[in-house]
Amino acid sequence: MKRIGPFVLERKLHPSRATVFGISVLSVVVALLVAAPVFAGYGVSPWKAYEAIGRGIFGSWPSFSEVLRRAIPLILCGVGLTLAFRAQFWNIGAEGQLLAGAVAATGVALFLPVPDGLKLPLMFLFGFLAGAIWGLIPALLRVKLGVNDVISTLMLNYVMAYIVEWLVHGPWKGPTMRGFAYTDAFPLSARLSYLPATRVHWLTLVLGVVLAFIVAFVLARTKLGYEIRVVGQNPDAARYAGISFTAVLSLVMIISGGLAGLAGVGEVAGIHWRLRSPSHISMNYGYTAIIVAWLARGSPVAAIFTALLFGLIFAAGDYMKTVLGLPFQITGVFNGLILFFLIGFDLLMFWRVRFAQKEKVWTSQAGS
Amino acid sequence: MKRILSVVLAVVALGALAFSAEKIKAGFIYVGPIGDYGWSHAHDVARRIVDEKFDWLETVYVESVPEGEVETYIDQLVRQGCNVIFTTSFGFMDGTLAAAQRYPNVIFAHASGFKRWANMATYMADFYQVYYLNGLMAGALTKTGKIGYVAAFPIPEVKRHINAFTIGVRTVNPNAEVHVRWIYEWFNPAAAKEATEALIAEGCDVFAFTEDSPTVVQVAAEKGLPSFGHYSPMYDFAPDYVVSGQIVHWEKIYEDFLVKIHEGLYTNKNLAHVDYWWLLAQGAVEVGAKPGMVINPKYEEALKAKKVNVPGLGEVSVYDLVFIRLNQMADPGITYDPFQGPVYDRKGQLVVPEGMWLSYDSLITMEWAVAGVVGPWPGEP
Repeated sequence: MKRIGPFVLERKLHPSRATVFGISVLSVVVALLVAAPVFAGYGVSPWKAYEAIGRGIFGSWPSFSEVLRRAIPLILCGVGLTLAFRAQFWNIGAEGQLLAGAVAATGVALFLPVPDGLKLPLMFLFGFLAGAIWGLIPALLRVKLGVNDVISTLMLNYVMAYIVEWLVHGPWKGPTMRGFAYTDAFPLSARLSYLPATRVHWLTLVLGVVLAFIVAFVLARTKLGYEIRVVGQNPDAARYAGISFTAVLSLVMIISGGLAGLAGVGEVAGIHWRLRSPSHISMNYGYTAIIVAWLARGSPVAAIFTALLFGLIFAAGDYMKTVLGLPFQITGVFNGLILFFLIGFDLLMFWRVRFAQKEKVWTSQAGS
Repeated sequence: MKRILSVVLAVVALGALAFSAEKIKAGFIYVGPIGDYGWSHAHDVARRIVDEKFDWLETVYVESVPEGEVETYIDQLVRQGCNVIFTTSFGFMDGTLAAAQRYPNVIFAHASGFKRWANMATYMADFYQVYYLNGLMAGALTKTGKIGYVAAFPIPEVKRHINAFTIGVRTVNPNAEVHVRWIYEWFNPAAAKEATEALIAEGCDVFAFTEDSPTVVQVAAEKGLPSFGHYSPMYDFAPDYVVSGQIVHWEKIYEDFLVKIHEGLYTNKNLAHVDYWWLLAQGAVEVGAKPGMVINPKYEEALKAKKVNVPGLGEVSVYDLVFIRLNQMADPGITYDPFQGPVYDRKGQLVVPEGMWLSYDSLITMEWAVAGVVGPWPGEP
């Protein structure tokens, strides 16, 4: 507890849903107010800008579908990360695990001679496995050798990015691409279908939402979920209870990396239809998913909604660049401000400000 | 009187209507930021030139567009009322084609690609002739016989430029070598700096490059070494050391294409075979340290002093040779090409037979390295 003049700040452990929602909305509103002078500085009336963005995104189904499309990889990566974070395993490597999935899917799509009907299922299967392996390596490194998980997962991102770069410049460079660093396009059987009039590869979206609920169930209702929570919340108790860290953390990272791998499959099979430079495949989805999972506070189902929020922020940014003709840096500033306030206001959810007389404070402290 | 006035007004109104129907709103989609001083910057400079030149033209642009996102941005530009859309990265090719099929009434043009449609043309301004001219000068200026080349990606476009440059170097200095360092980025000043320093340590004393910043020019100038600017005029970054360079004029292509649309020559039905491959002769590229300055006056004397014996021309100074070749290639009836046979690759194979020129297809799919190139060459046949 903290005292500021006649007010006291009290810690709240479990904010109500109304508080969470109210404060989130408030943070976005404050961000919009703070961003207003930036728009004005570029000669664009902020009010008109917000109205244009709002109308642009919510005005038609094809525009709104962009929010869903941008949220797909964030849901899959974000759900996986909530699981890892619950076990206190700091997986900063969703980016690399996503790319691993994209590589495996490309391998199946272009080089594995299987019947057309099996192409997509195998792409998802191998994509999951590739992401899982890329996630398992840092888990084993930590349990067996005590290697810091933040460092190892982060560094493996670069390793995978360079593997992709090497593949598109080397062995997988497409013969039909006239020497440019891209693989050939996937056959039609390896491409995901879209919802009408959109680029939403719905299969990956459905997969993400279903898996979010499954992961939530595993966490809340199974022995594995219980062990994950104990390992995360009290490692000593877990050790005392005889829970195997190797088994738990390995499984956590197989699932977490595997889900990111599925996101990678969705991106290449749904959007690109080929492997290309890693920065164009992922656009930092794996890193953004860290904030998605963090704002979701370790809840896989909440991650669906925070991912959608980021889909909205990205779509708004795309819209600002074209319709308002603002430089791309302004989009970055705008997105950054919203994030800053979302995370900053987060604190408010856990503190209650109360007007209190001095005496009362002392008694309440003595009582507690 | 009133009647006359109303007739006049009606005529004016009709005229205005017809005029507005011919108005063009062109959208430009760039892969990089316009502040990169390279590819995207040059396209945007060209956009502003044509935008100011024609009052029937309105332009908008979007920068830093990831390759997989091009369709999303095309959708938004079309919704905004653009009836002509330029996409300026090879990676935008399939997205642009899909959009061209989805919006048959919008005209598209895609830079550096090879897929066309009834309403989708392709265009490219290429530097290989200019690199050859720069190579002639570099060959005359090197004292160590080693020239450094900082290169972006090992793709045919860059390989073609290094080869043309090396052919120029070897014409003047048959034993000189061009040392190549790949940095695997289009824009990375830090990597360009490291590569330049490594090449200096190797003994290189003249520099050319493919990277979207003036870094190589600046690093070489710090050591007092001459270099050739790339893409934008770089004279101002090191007035004593920029000998010449490659300058692009995308506005020549944009102007030609947009005027032809305005005049009704190009429509959404007849673009399937419209492919601009514009070089010196069309003015889409220029050799020079800055516009109008082919050779930095500080280097004129050295280039005039160096004499070479060229088949068909006898003994000429390098200075004169540059202008002879420039005129031959800038003339509409082009009478010289850098890849004029015989040309041998560095493994000793004859790649262009005596008296032959390379076809357009061979130029844009070039993977071999010409004799004189030193260093790794990914994808070498």
